[in-house]
Amino acid sequence: MNAIETHDLTRYYDDLCAVGHLTLSVNNEIFGLLGPNGSGKTTTVLMLTTLLRPSSGTASVCGHDIAKDGENVRRQLSYVPQDMAVDIKLTGRENVLFFARLYGIPRPKDKTDEVLAVMELADRADDLIRTYSGGMRRRLELAQALVHEPAVLFLDEPTIGLDVAARKKIWEHIRGLRKNGMTVFVTTHYMDEADQYCDRVGIISKGQVVALGRPSDLKSGLMTDVITARVSGLAGIPAIEGVTWIGQADDEISFTAENGKEALPLIAQALAATGAKVRTLSLREPTLDDVFLHAVGNQEEPRHFNDHQFRTMLRRRK
Amino acid sequence: MNGIWYYMQRDMVKWLRSRIGVISLLVMPAAWLIFVGLALPVTFTGNYLDFITPGILVMTMLASSMQGGALLMFDRILGFLNKFLALPTPREDILFGKILFITIRGVLQSTVILIVATLIGASILSLFQYAMIYLILILFGIVLSGLATTVALYVGDHDSYAAVNTMISMPLFFTSSALMPYSVMPVWLRAIATVNPLSFAIDAIRSVGAGTVPLLQIGILAGLGIIVLAICMQVFRKMTI
Repeated sequence: MNAIETHDLTRYYDDLCAVGHLTLSVNNEIFGLLGPNGSGKTTTVLMLTTLLRPSSGTASVCGHDIAKDGENVRRQLSYVPQDMAVDIKLTGRENVLFFARLYGIPRPKDKTDEVLAVMELADRADDLIRTYSGGMRRRLELAQALVHEPAVLFLDEPTIGLDVAARKKIWEHIRGLRKNGMTVFVTTHYMDEADQYCDRVGIISKGQVVALGRPSDLKSGLMTDVITARVSGLAGIPAIEGVTWIGQADDEISFTAENGKEALPLIAQALAATGAKVRTLSLREPTLDDVFLHAVGNQEEPRHFNDHQFRTMLRRRK
Repeated sequence: MNGIWYYMQRDMVKWLRSRIGVISLLVMPAAWLIFVGLALPVTFTGNYLDFITPGILVMTMLASSMQGGALLMFDRILGFLNKFLALPTPREDILFGKILFITIRGVLQSTVILIVATLIGASILSLFQYAMIYLILILFGIVLSGLATTVALYVGDHDSYAAVNTMISMPLFFTSSALMPYSVMPVWLRAIATVNPLSFAIDAIRSVGAGTVPLLQIGILAGLGIIVLAICMQVFRKMTI
């Protein structure tokens, strides 16, 4: 039995398809759901945590159906939303103890001390949250989530708005949980973090999973090297032998090639031949960003921002 | 069941830690009582304090409930509600915890009013009479806080809810029997006042003060409370999944 299992999971907001036919199994790993804002990450998490009903399809957490057996699903999971909701007028200990009591665990006080220590908050436990930094507040939320030892932990953008050191710390804690056998389902739009810390990632765009696998496999699925050219006055993408175009963002064009060093002059010449002016050329190993661009960027020209659709989604998501 | 208590505890601790909030909620009704009860030149009754105290009690319950209605809405806006809804604790506990907190807070305020009223000259009642006054206030508080919480959750944002609040509170108070008896009201006002739900609770408390046991009113309030709670639960369930 997998910790999380979804089959054709779909959610519509009016006629906007936020998540479409999502089929996934996640077990005993750090799974990262990656994608840009509004791609359906939060909607997916809301459905899996029983906060939103799917329009169609099924999903289960630890074998319990999310639509029919909500209470048992909630017994198995913890959910840390994006908003950072902790009571600033309560102390760290009070915030965690409150959750421990709501979960109805035995010996809530001892357990609270324990998770506060794990999250390195023991020395500040009796200070009001008002005095906590962003990173500490996020760790406190993790402590709240861990107090009942869930089988599955859902984290929605756990590192958003935190500085580099705080992010690293959060991820190290998440790794530690994974080592103790917890399944962690993370959403993020920071590709580099996902690359570094997730066992497996799914890239989601407009509600569709467009790539799924281990970060290293996804990257090696692209060819070895990525060449990025910065140009002005681009007229068109030239066809170059042995070089594949993978995407474009503003004035940056990305290609892949088996041998990047040999491809560099070819690309420069070909672009110059179209009348474009090549300003910089760079060569590097592929990252998840490239995987993402490859999976999404090709099929999609930068679209106009659809204000109406965006508002509909925001309103419905609350 | 325990969940209700813990949710209430959270709001209570938060409220008690905001000194301004506590002072304003406890001092304002007492100030009302003193200014209105002692200042108005009234000729239709011997002890105007005895007359006005039930009105101030009910008004305070109303204001406190309307203010408390915003609590769950803010929990929702700030993301707390989603965290609570993802817990295995029964979801209705969130709603009932709020209603319990708002009602307890209203009862605390009422106690301050009763003490101040007695200190400045209102008649002292028997323990049984005080118990009945509290019962009426509690039932009334449950009805009002349930309604206010649900309405706030429904309108969804603070500005709209503040508008609803203004639209309901003041007119309801001034068209009730709080300030004057039916006999001195203009005819049009009397018509409104007799169907005003505030008058209903005020009259019930006055009849306690006059020495009767308003079983009928208490029964109706209790029935109303059950109906309101059932409706609130339905709306809450619908709004949260």
